[in-house]
Amino acid sequence: MDYFLQQLINGVTLGGVYALIALGYTMVYGIIQLINFAHGEFFAAGGYMGVIFISWLAAQGLDPYVCLGLSLVLTMGYCALLAMAVEKLAYKPLRHASRLSVLLSALGMSIFLQNGLMLTQGVYDKPYPTEITQGGFEFGLISISYMQILIVGITAALLVGLNLLVFKTKIGKAMRATAQDKIMSGLVGINSNRIISTTFAIGAGLAAAAGIMVGLYYGSVRYDMGFVPGIKAFAAAVLGGIGNITGAMIGGLIIGMVEIFAAGYLSSEYKDVFAFIILIGVLYFRPTGIMGENVDDTRV
Amino acid sequence: MKRILTLVLCMSLVMTAGAAAAKTLVIGSMSPLTGPYAADGNDIANGVRTAVEVVKASGGIPGYDDIKVSAQDTACDPRQAVAAANKLMNEEVPGVVGAYCSGATIPASQTLDEESIVMITPASTNPVVTERGLKYMFRTCGRDDAQAPAALKFIAGPLGAKSIYLVDDKTTYSQGIADQLEKIAPEAGVEVLGHDHINQGDKDFSAILTKVKQANPDLFYISLQNSATGALMVIQAKRMGLDAALMGQDAVYHPQLIDIAGKDAEGMYLTFGYTDTEAPAYKEFIAAYKPKYGDPGAYSAYAYDSAMAYLKAVKKAGTTDPDAVRKAIIETDFDGASKKIDYQENGDSGSNYVIRKVEGGKFTNHWNPETGKMF
Repeated sequence: MDYFLQQLINGVTLGGVYALIALGYTMVYGIIQLINFAHGEFFAAGGYMGVIFISWLAAQGLDPYVCLGLSLVLTMGYCALLAMAVEKLAYKPLRHASRLSVLLSALGMSIFLQNGLMLTQGVYDKPYPTEITQGGFEFGLISISYMQILIVGITAALLVGLNLLVFKTKIGKAMRATAQDKIMSGLVGINSNRIISTTFAIGAGLAAAAGIMVGLYYGSVRYDMGFVPGIKAFAAAVLGGIGNITGAMIGGLIIGMVEIFAAGYLSSEYKDVFAFIILIGVLYFRPTGIMGENVDDTRV
Repeated sequence: MKRILTLVLCMSLVMTAGAAAAKTLVIGSMSPLTGPYAADGNDIANGVRTAVEVVKASGGIPGYDDIKVSAQDTACDPRQAVAAANKLMNEEVPGVVGAYCSGATIPASQTLDEESIVMITPASTNPVVTERGLKYMFRTCGRDDAQAPAALKFIAGPLGAKSIYLVDDKTTYSQGIADQLEKIAPEAGVEVLGHDHINQGDKDFSAILTKVKQANPDLFYISLQNSATGALMVIQAKRMGLDAALMGQDAVYHPQLIDIAGKDAEGMYLTFGYTDTEAPAYKEFIAAYKPKYGDPGAYSAYAYDSAMAYLKAVKKAGTTDPDAVRKAIIETDFDGASKKIDYQENGDSGSNYVIRKVEGGKFTNHWNPETGKMF
């Protein structure tokens, strides 16, 4: 039982990270039907900017926790701007081109950003300061680190915030309207280009938060760190029903849990196999994913 | 007519280029310059460059105006390694230092050997590398079939561990060493509680570490291809509250391990070839390497020695003819930066694994399986 609970905690932590990344995929897909392959790179850029901000702020003599909070905000802001720039540069000129062209542009952007990160930051892993994140609770055989609590806490807060933003605010309403019908929403006075840009910014901000937390949790970041989690999070978004925000959260948690339980009860080398078997199984019976795609106004 | 003229012009250009380049000795370097093993790969390329710089500074090789390095990227991938080998063949290099991953070295050496190009690997420890009867294949580092027994000697001896849990990441090298340790451990009275595998690129080891914690072994043996991944595993193991002693092999051994894992790496054991850092050859190497490329990685000195062995052999043979160079490589023994270089007929130059330990943020020599004594 202890063993099961411990694995459950591990699964929720990993699932939370996947969920944060998956949201970016799903939001962008919801609004312009583009699978943004460069999304994993926002996550990696977030990881790097996080360590840069944390070390810089720590050098100014700030309290570690203030440092952490401030870096989180700054990193999310940085990646939001980066995503808006990428959108303007690589996707906006192709707004009326075929979907394949945009997809290729996204792939190219991913390669460009990843190699840019490699050239500017080097091929070595960049270590995160781990002092802030040491320690945790012990309940018998179960151990929960402060970092796990922090990840789950920040993830939950961001998810709640996102839900409020999308369903309770004016800009959220405009996002949902643009997702439903770009032309019609334009006719009623919504600036769809700005809304698309905002959607990219929010998605990248969430990915950046995931990047910084992954850096803190695992202890280092590397230029190619966006690839594997990017693929997993994309799978999570598809599993939940791409285009559906709640679906992405659920999908992320499921992929995280399946991976951990497959590794914990079978073998670690099969964890990806099981994660994708679940994906194929669900898509076989529910081609639109668990929550289904664009059910009325839950799509963004 | 015009076409024929152009053709003739082109051919003459190529030929003159060939004639002009004949005075330059180009040696190839193959290692993963990109991808997850880029750290070790760049160390190797830099080690080769340093050797060439040192030889050039001390008068070069008679008959050659210049010595150059053509560094190719293998990305630790068998296909790309063969492509890199083909590229070096086209550049007509007579000798190659590399590659890093055994899984890349093995197919690439096949290609190079068919063209009678000498290959000296600084870092591929899988036994198969020198066991295929390839005439021009040499190895500077030790062999895995010496590494696992050396580790076991320590585990069952001074460490006194009764049980171990193994993990590897399924490369020819890393799984080879873990499989061998799993096989021989029971003979030394060490019980194997489990042997798990992870995937390349994994970052989250919480599930596997929970499993290890439940099995509660005396020693957790980490056989990964990448030191940074090893560091992540060490950090997570400590955070999980794993009490077992930690041990890694020579690919986990890299300054990066301590940079990333910091305090969490304290007390970890690693097997690595013994290098006397006080020896004059090592000091000469460091004096040339450090100002230009910073602190050396785990395999910088081995790459330096491999390139040195080749250049010394060319100098001795007075030609790049592969058979003459092969003979000279076997005949030439010297005190290298990494160890005493003495290539045998089969291409190996012996193993000298010792147990090193992370103490005070540094790798220190801990125990010598040869003598059975502490350092």
